[in-house]
Amino acid sequence: MEGVGRLRALEAPVKLKSGSRDFEIEILFREGFEIRARIDGRELAGTLRELGDASAILEIEGRRFRVMGARRKQSILVAVGPRTFDFAPVDGGARRARRGLAAAEIIAPMPGKVLKVLVNEGDVVSAGQAMVIIEAMKMETTLSAESPAVVKRVCAKPGDTVDHGAVLIELSPAVVSSALQSDPEAR
Amino acid sequence: MARRKLKVLLVANRGEIALRIIRTARAMGLRTVAVFSEADAHSAHVAAADDARLIGGAPAAESYLNIDSIIAAARETGADAIHPGYGFLSERPEFARAVEQAGLIFVGPRADVMAQLGDKISARKLAIAAGVPVVPGLEAAAPDAACEFAAREGFPILVKAAAGGGGRGMRVVESAEVCVAALEAASREALSAFGDGRVFIEKYLARPRHIEVQFLGDEKGNIVTMGERDCSIQRRHQKIVEESPAPHLSNTARDAMLAAATRLARAAGYTNAGTAEFLVDGDRFYFLEVNARLQVEHPITEIRFGCDLVEEQLKIACGEEIAPPSAPRGCAIECRINAEDASAGFRPAIGIVLDLRVPAGPGVRFDTHLARGSEVTPFYDGLLGKLITYGSDRKQARARMVAALDELAILGVTNTAAFLRDVIASEAFGAADLSTRFIEEQFSHWPSEDQALTEAALIAASLTASGALGIRPTEAAAQLTAADGADRSPWKALGGFELWKRQ
Repeated sequence: MEGVGRLRALEAPVKLKSGSRDFEIEILFREGFEIRARIDGRELAGTLRELGDASAILEIEGRRFRVMGARRKQSILVAVGPRTFDFAPVDGGARRARRGLAAAEIIAPMPGKVLKVLVNEGDVVSAGQAMVIIEAMKMETTLSAESPAVVKRVCAKPGDTVDHGAVLIELSPAVVSSALQSDPEAR
Repeated sequence: MARRKLKVLLVANRGEIALRIIRTARAMGLRTVAVFSEADAHSAHVAAADDARLIGGAPAAESYLNIDSIIAAARETGADAIHPGYGFLSERPEFARAVEQAGLIFVGPRADVMAQLGDKISARKLAIAAGVPVVPGLEAAAPDAACEFAAREGFPILVKAAAGGGGRGMRVVESAEVCVAALEAASREALSAFGDGRVFIEKYLARPRHIEVQFLGDEKGNIVTMGERDCSIQRRHQKIVEESPAPHLSNTARDAMLAAATRLARAAGYTNAGTAEFLVDGDRFYFLEVNARLQVEHPITEIRFGCDLVEEQLKIACGEEIAPPSAPRGCAIECRINAEDASAGFRPAIGIVLDLRVPAGPGVRFDTHLARGSEVTPFYDGLLGKLITYGSDRKQARARMVAALDELAILGVTNTAAFLRDVIASEAFGAADLSTRFIEEQFSHWPSEDQALTEAALIAASLTASGALGIRPTEAAAQLTAADGADRSPWKALGGFELWKRQ
């Protein structure tokens, strides 16, 4: 039966992240309208009523939410009332975190034009330091370092038209620790 | 006054406003023509019109700003008038002139009037001559003179593009150290956005309100005003919430503003719909600029006055005389739903609408071009829709807005609906403690932690991951392939997602 198949699939805990936060979620039980889940070790119970339009009414902790969801290539989109969430599976970001970098690259958030590059290769930058100014959606946007780092490579120059997701700057960790030297990726 | 007959209207715009104009034109019995860029081939406005023409590539400069291409589309389709909507070419005098030279009716003010009002420096001169108060400022500011002015008047100062509008090309300069750099950046932004790098500066009022007056002018020289709109709730000088009437505004101040707008419109020889914007400090008001076009937030005026401003515009364009407006009633509020991530510095968002829930009910209007399968591209302004509520008083309009925002859900494009819901529901908004600083004062940190909501999201995500909830990929893929072409469908690579199993 379809329902049984679903239940089995739900037995596996799912690790998700939203922004910088990681979560572990496990659906423990689902029968009729009843649903029980464990989130980061904390158990909670509620009801889930599926509606014909692929949304559902979820009641937990005495509150009632209308939820919708869709799977995408690398993420799961969820709407809870008017709020939207974009969850990604927890992945290799952990290694970068170990290396002390919030992000290993400065990436164009939108297609746009590079107006200014404010750093050079080898520069030591601090968290929040402005690195690139791009013009996208008719506005100037300043892209800054999220954590202390060293500029490994500058991949863009003023006047370049860049696509969404283009790597503008590559970063390496600011402080070289012994743990890092043993990491074959960090040269 | 020559009466002209209008039969075919071309709408030189896209998105919700193109759709909204087409609706009125159709109700008036006109034939409608849409124009679209390569990115908008499947947009709602294209489907809504009787005829549609491709006018160029996705970047606006190749399509919605391409005057020759739009005029050619009008000639080909036998259009006798062009409505420019807002944004794009709506306030470009050269466009209005080109439309007139092609023997077509431009639905808006004359090109020379638009040129005079569109340039902030000449508009300011006109306001002074018409006895309308203005904020102390300096025209065509060179860096040296600007710094001198700032030293005299005190920081902060506001730098504005002479050809700008809608908050673009504006910057607040807080201190002498960054003054020169900010002037350069503003000038650069102005040059790229408007093709005109001239800037001017003004004294920056600390906690002003932004209140504007809607007016209409006809060819006979009649000017009528249709109340005011309070647009104080802004983010980075972009309006996000508007309401009418302006709360806590004395009748004396209101009457004085309406009279000032009338004087200004008369002095300019204004025809068609326009808006005079003012900064308001207590009961004192200062002229900001005239928007020589239909405003984004025009529906709140329509609802209070029981009229259709696009219909008024089309009648005026045909040479008809304006009828005096009826008495306004109740209160109307508008929220602009933008494709932005309010929890990440309002970063612009793009995507495909995978699922959509639209609010309804008494006193609720939602102007949008979105449908399931619509794609939000990075090429244009990210306005997804305008939610408007009406109430017999502000309390009712506000309660309806909160309920309507709670009902709204757009899955697939991160948007500001939840942020706006919290803004409207806030005590500060309830007390109508309004100023253009409202958002930075009240909502600089959003969202606040809501554990139950996060848990609900996680449960929903987990169920979606396993396929127990949400749009079934097969069903959605069929829809999206039809709407967007197989290449761009996010479902194409579906299956790339895996559950992370405990080993």
